[in-house]
Amino acid sequence: MKNLLHFFSECGRGALTPHRVLKLSLVAALTILLASSCAKKEAAVTRDIGPEAEAYYKAHSDVFHFATPADLPKNLVWHDGHDVPEFSAPDAKRGGTFNFWIPDFPRTLRYLGPDATGSFRFWLLDDNIITLTQKQPNTGQYFPGLAKAWAYGSDGKTMYFKLDPDAHYSDGVQVKADDYFFALFVLRSRYINDPYTNNIVTERYTGITKYDDYTISANYRDSKPDLDDILGGLAPMPEHFYKELGDDYLQRYQWTMEPTTGPYIIKPEDLHKGSYIDLTRVPNWWASDKRFYRHRYNADRIHLEVIRDTDKVFEAFKRGDVDLFDKITPPKFWYDKLPNNDPLVQKGYIHKTVFYNQAPVPTWALYINTAMPSLDNRDIREGIAYASNFDLIDHQYYRGDYVRMQTGSDGYAEVPFPGIHARPFSVDKALEDFAKAGFTKRDSDGILMNGKGQRLSFTITTPYERMRDVLTILREEARKAGLDFTIEILDQTTAFKKIDEKHHQIAFMAMNVGIPKYPDYRQEYYSTAANKPQTNNFTNTVDPEMDKLIDAYDRAQTMDEIRRLALQLEQRIYDNAAFIPAFEQPFYRAGYWRWIKWPEGFNVRFSIDEYPYAGGLYWIDEDAKKETLNARNSGQTFPPEIKVYDQWKTANQ
Amino acid sequence: MFRLDPITRRKLQRFRSIKRGYGSFLVLCGLLLMSAFAELLVGSRALIVKYHGHYYFPTYTAFHPGTDFGEGYSYETNYRKLKELFGTEAHGDWVLLPPVPYNPYENSFEEGIYPPTPPSFSQRHFLGTDTTGRDVLARLFYGFRIAMIFSLLFLVLVYVAGIAMGCAMGYYGGAFDLIMQRAIEIWSNIPFLYIVIIIASILTPNLWLLLGIVVLFSWTDMTYYMRTSTYKEKARDYVAAARVLGAGSGRIIFRHILPNVLSLTVTFMPFTISGAITLLTALDFLGFGLPPPTPSWGELLEQGTSNLNAPWIVSSAFFALVIILSLVTFIGEAIREAFDPKKFSIYQ
Repeated sequence: MKNLLHFFSECGRGALTPHRVLKLSLVAALTILLASSCAKKEAAVTRDIGPEAEAYYKAHSDVFHFATPADLPKNLVWHDGHDVPEFSAPDAKRGGTFNFWIPDFPRTLRYLGPDATGSFRFWLLDDNIITLTQKQPNTGQYFPGLAKAWAYGSDGKTMYFKLDPDAHYSDGVQVKADDYFFALFVLRSRYINDPYTNNIVTERYTGITKYDDYTISANYRDSKPDLDDILGGLAPMPEHFYKELGDDYLQRYQWTMEPTTGPYIIKPEDLHKGSYIDLTRVPNWWASDKRFYRHRYNADRIHLEVIRDTDKVFEAFKRGDVDLFDKITPPKFWYDKLPNNDPLVQKGYIHKTVFYNQAPVPTWALYINTAMPSLDNRDIREGIAYASNFDLIDHQYYRGDYVRMQTGSDGYAEVPFPGIHARPFSVDKALEDFAKAGFTKRDSDGILMNGKGQRLSFTITTPYERMRDVLTILREEARKAGLDFTIEILDQTTAFKKIDEKHHQIAFMAMNVGIPKYPDYRQEYYSTAANKPQTNNFTNTVDPEMDKLIDAYDRAQTMDEIRRLALQLEQRIYDNAAFIPAFEQPFYRAGYWRWIKWPEGFNVRFSIDEYPYAGGLYWIDEDAKKETLNARNSGQTFPPEIKVYDQWKTANQ
Repeated sequence: MFRLDPITRRKLQRFRSIKRGYGSFLVLCGLLLMSAFAELLVGSRALIVKYHGHYYFPTYTAFHPGTDFGEGYSYETNYRKLKELFGTEAHGDWVLLPPVPYNPYENSFEEGIYPPTPPSFSQRHFLGTDTTGRDVLARLFYGFRIAMIFSLLFLVLVYVAGIAMGCAMGYYGGAFDLIMQRAIEIWSNIPFLYIVIIIASILTPNLWLLLGIVVLFSWTDMTYYMRTSTYKEKARDYVAAARVLGAGSGRIIFRHILPNVLSLTVTFMPFTISGAITLLTALDFLGFGLPPPTPSWGELLEQGTSNLNAPWIVSSAFFALVIILSLVTFIGEAIREAFDPKKFSIYQ
């Protein structure tokens, strides 16, 4: 139907020439034909999810409560974040286009269901939508989002929210309490084809109450120290957009972006499949001038070009087609391809920055599948850990920029693991372990064999082509301990499928984490997720003791208890030797053209590695852009800028 | 199986008289011979070690842990370090290393120096090292061996399949020819590069698998030529005479027709080889070839092009490729000239 509307609006603009009349009548005849056939089809599929949702609320009255303002507890203390400092730059300028890149075209614009967890979700959801409350990324305090005030229930499991009546979706519809009910209904519904989310939401989000259109409360299963993240992290879903929600959810909502409460939308005409996507700033965004949101998300447009190869991105960056090169951290780029004495840097066109952040690190590690023959033997796993020379890789290949990761949960400011250290490279200890497992003789290549003539050889599967060098060094070093690795670099989708289905022997990869307060162990170590496809228990760990600890951990109510249990869990993970930590870096780097400006101090303390643009703190200085582009032609230079921001560097970094 | 007829022999003589082509042929044969004994020229294992009055020849024998030579480690002896050690000790022990004392897999890291390192005669990295500190010359040399093994096997398999099917189609003709020809047309329309890429990204191919896939989609080319020339030869009097004398199909094809159409296949051979080398290099370049850390030219080119600040990587691979492909092309040209039918065909 959209084409038809488009056509008529076009006609309205021009005069009706005879030629046009002919064309119009032809098209009209065609459209009538089409419309009549469409009408039949649409009549069959047009639905209204409203009544179904209402019926669902009634049927689940233990979760969906309707109350009156009089039912609100009397002694609530309302917080509104008035004492929380802002973190954006007051001198930021609005406008301009931020030219950036994405490695792959997204497979969908949904953020729920299959294929929705790709890296593009960052632009749709993670860095876009506004939740009830938001976390101040320097202090860890909370400030208003869609809620203008919030209060905590006395049970430690409930939060109350006063919704901001100013909050609107990008299509102009106001956000109301009903939208939170609807969101919970969708997250629990089978339409989204996402049983994991269904389960978690159904089990943990135990209740939601509407007092009036602008007051709600939400309950969590347990009392938690980070309740603000959990319940304050709830976001509404627009019922008017999901009116036709049904079994065809995946197809129907595949390429339309949900109206958002956030600053950017994707217009249908800005979606150029396989090539690029443009984000446009919502006109008159409701939060534009609010505290904590002003001077942020300053670019009017964000142009995301699909560039599949990092080296090509780098070339595009050097040409000035890409404003910011976020993958500059590896020594190859930082020291060799864009050294400090590079003309672009020396002439001050491109600025280089090192920023020490405090965030959980991506867990680069070997994930050993303990369900595989030989690898089910703990001695062999420990031997592999001792035979893996990540120390050399960190020191020589990454030139000491990387340090050894000690546990899979490094980087949580409030949950340290003193005393747990990754096993260092040691041929003797590895040989000792392999000997315990019966591998004592070396063959003509120097690889260990057991009494049955079996060689000590395993395959490492990885989805990352860029880790080829790392793995070849690992392989060569492991041979010293009589261990042979076969390197299997697969296409990303294929590799993740293989690893998800637990067909790997050893996987080399990293899991990304956001900035939660404490690590999550259930996903990766709970026994019910072991030996099953599509779960994150990549080591296939089955350990009843661990299960007990995780159960207790998930219900822990204070940070002290969480710390105590996390330490026990990490110790068990260490003892199990199925997770071999590789490396981490305490900082990230960025290279950007001089027209990209940053707040004083560059970025925020809790910023995710290599995402300096998250949170929209940067802005584009159009004048500086013109000046720089002219200077490139005329040869004019500016003072070079190579800066290190270590205000958030911690003692152990 | 069959004797070369006098005409073919004369063609070969003529090939020998074309200096550039024949010279290239000898050089290539020399390189092939060298690569057959690559371990003696390029490798980390010493050729001879004299230790405490005993002689050791580690190249082709069992692995010697460091402890065999009084070192404190149980992994493979580092013969370069051993040589330095024996040099300073002067107990009459000595080590003879290959001219390039590195194997194509080992990463040599020097404290404070980060790979890739430029060519250095003192380190005996004659063409420098790559991004993980592996010797470029060693990788080139072993990469050459693998490329040649690949392309020679490719040649044999493609020709056996192509000639057999082409001759059969030409000789039997009729419905068999008609059906097979259609089947081949359909088969050769499958976009083979995509198939290789898809298979390589799902499985990690080894030499045999890769060879299998490539041959599976390449044998058809040869059938076209063989089919037409067999058709031509089949109609000749000598074939009819053989048939009258009671020769069977197999004998006619292999003893009579094949020697006469063979010159055609010979002229194609060098180009098939250069095609196979290019193909393997291209696949490796794209990351769909042999799995790492197999030494390969494509992988070196890929490394080189993404590290243009280390020009020795890309230029080594580039010149190696240019030299080998030129040699093969010179041979090809000479063969084509020697086998030119305008000079030698005799019509009855």
